[in-house]
Amino acid sequence: MPASHASISTAAATSDPPIAARRAGLTNRQREVLAGYLFIAPDFIGLFVFVGIPMVLALTMGFFDVNGFGQFNFVGLANYQKMLGDTVFWQCLRVTLLYMVLLVPSLYVSGLGLALLVQRSNRFNTVMRSIFFAPQMVSLVVIGLVWQLLSADKVGVLSRGLAALGITGVSLLGSPGFALYTTLLVTVWFLMGFYMLIFIGGLQDIPREYYEAAEIDGAGRVQSFWHITLPLLRPTSFFVLLISLVASVAGSQAFDLIYVMTKGGPANSTSVLIFYVYQQAFQYSAFGYAAAMASIVVVILMLATAVLFLMTRGGRFNYE
Amino acid sequence: MSNDTNMPRGWNRRDILRGSAALGAAGLAGLPLIGNAYAQAKTLNFWNFYAPDSEQPKAQQDWWTKMAADWNAKSETKVELDYLVDYMQGNKLSTSFASGQGPDLFLISPGDFLRYYNGGALLDLTPFIDADVQKDFPDAVMGTRKVDGKIYGVPMEVEPMAFYYSVKAFEDAGLNENDVPKTWDELLELGKKLTTADRYGLLFQTDAGYYQNFTWYPFMWQGGGEFQGADGKSAFNSPATVAALKLWKDAIDSGAAPRQVNAGGFDMVANLGAGYCAIQNCGIWGIAAMKQNAPDTPFGMFKLPIPTGGKYVTVGGGWAFVANAKGKDPDTAGKFIAWALASKEQDSVQRVVDWCTVAKSDMPPRQSAIEAGKAAYGQGELKFFADEVYPGARGEPRLPPEAYKIISDAIQAAQLGGIEPEKAAEDASKQLDAFLATYKGAPML
Repeated sequence: MPASHASISTAAATSDPPIAARRAGLTNRQREVLAGYLFIAPDFIGLFVFVGIPMVLALTMGFFDVNGFGQFNFVGLANYQKMLGDTVFWQCLRVTLLYMVLLVPSLYVSGLGLALLVQRSNRFNTVMRSIFFAPQMVSLVVIGLVWQLLSADKVGVLSRGLAALGITGVSLLGSPGFALYTTLLVTVWFLMGFYMLIFIGGLQDIPREYYEAAEIDGAGRVQSFWHITLPLLRPTSFFVLLISLVASVAGSQAFDLIYVMTKGGPANSTSVLIFYVYQQAFQYSAFGYAAAMASIVVVILMLATAVLFLMTRGGRFNYE
Repeated sequence: MSNDTNMPRGWNRRDILRGSAALGAAGLAGLPLIGNAYAQAKTLNFWNFYAPDSEQPKAQQDWWTKMAADWNAKSETKVELDYLVDYMQGNKLSTSFASGQGPDLFLISPGDFLRYYNGGALLDLTPFIDADVQKDFPDAVMGTRKVDGKIYGVPMEVEPMAFYYSVKAFEDAGLNENDVPKTWDELLELGKKLTTADRYGLLFQTDAGYYQNFTWYPFMWQGGGEFQGADGKSAFNSPATVAALKLWKDAIDSGAAPRQVNAGGFDMVANLGAGYCAIQNCGIWGIAAMKQNAPDTPFGMFKLPIPTGGKYVTVGGGWAFVANAKGKDPDTAGKFIAWALASKEQDSVQRVVDWCTVAKSDMPPRQSAIEAGKAAYGQGELKFFADEVYPGARGEPRLPPEAYKIISDAIQAAQLGGIEPEKAAEDASKQLDAFLATYKGAPML
């Protein structure tokens, strides 16, 4: 065989699609693309069927009077008009915003603080990390019940502790002035170990050389934290802020602990919007009204996320 | 050439995709078989909060399982009991109806009646109950389960409210049964007197919900208050309503009553039995609860005190059997309810007696059951309820969720939220009027 023929046939063998692909009329590139889509198809279909369609249906349901027994009546914007005059809705909105404004920074500071304390790998820190993370191993319902018992008026450990300090008459979960802050503290206590782990991952990605160089240049620990740690934690910070934001507005943490510890009380003082949505839907069978309120929750989340994006530039590094 | 180096030997992506498709198809193909099996089952599901395997006393679980077993022994269509956790506050029942999968039989209290009736979920039970037996249920008991003269629920019990007190707490304070309060003022004073560093003197329900409304209504009625007037408009903003709200607020503000209750205000053992309070506002079921779960804690009882110039009224709640109008076999479900609680047969009457005097401590909803249980109601704590408390009982009101929530918010605002009772009553009344103007369901009672 001439040499020129041999080189041509070799090139053909490497660039031609296999027999099956040729039969399907696809190039290698097209086959790769198709395979890629097929592999993400299960996730996409799952999200579309179980998240996308229900979201659209829920948003649509907000324009109907749905009584929970199969009756649908189109009411236009009536559910949204009802919201305007619903004092409980506005109270729940205020509680939600307060809860969000307090919870997100609290989780950020506590998670980062713990991570800085235990970031170095040694036996003691490993034990401490496990202790801080331990609440995550327990069901939220159990956590709520335990703290409810601890906070019981007069007979709870916390109430007795306060009484020993001379502070009496304080109802940690029964007073509107305390109940939200008590549930907030429990939520922070429960979640801070989880955020600590995320921050430890972010801290371990920061090269040690930066700190060594800063130290040689005379930077102290505080300066290193402000000028090296915090800027390089930007992607981690964005992630933490985003998921804590979702947790505070619509997460199971916001719902479960409140459901177990206070049931939204006393006098709706811990009733976050997502809890009121639950009540309207499942306790009062006002599914249309609940769906309309749920759409407000979505709007709050979108707005808060947009603000977060603008403030942190989506977690991207600042290279200037 | 495909890059399948991460695959198990002999597999490629196409094999995995084919396998997944085959598994998916097999799964989908199997769904109709499951559906058929479900549809063919001759079983009626009865959702309840007693049996099987619940946390309720054994005697109550036994009553339920025996009832189901007795029916199943004679009927081709079986009844299967399904125990629901958190029946009153949970979402399983409402979610099941929302998805068209409601149970065939379930329990309902007057407080939740209109939600299900207005939704078209309740079966008319009138054709299944003999006319004579219908008369056996007094109107005061059956009224809140009827619409346009038709029966949509058969009560299994009547549960009037009273107060219980700890004999030990009374004795420690140098008090005895002659010191029980007759008026609201005396009640508050006694509550303060019995309050110590680690115990409250007096306990009202503090958790918002149907139960709290239920326990608060008699205090409103005692001064002549109503939530709705004869003209169909709100009557909530009245001196009687304000006084009732103030009573509960004063109990909290004075430090005599707790802002939190253990497990729920209906739980005698977790509150009075545990020494959390000296006096507890609770229903007749507290007798059995204490005897079954706190037998070593002696307790006494007194009927609801009244305001100055008021008259004695208490509230009589209780749960009823209801059938799903769109269930698998509504006809048999209706027959089951009639057989269980509302037939002429002696075993039906005795079943009610057993529930109210053996499994639990309640007043029977049937006159014939009161007669049959005369021995039990002629002595001890049940005699006190039968003779002193029950004659003043008025049926638990039925309201749609919107109205119930308005009243609930008013109670919470005054009791725990620091709002003046006058303001709470005024705000609630305006909201009630707005709601009543648009309400189209069955009458509120």
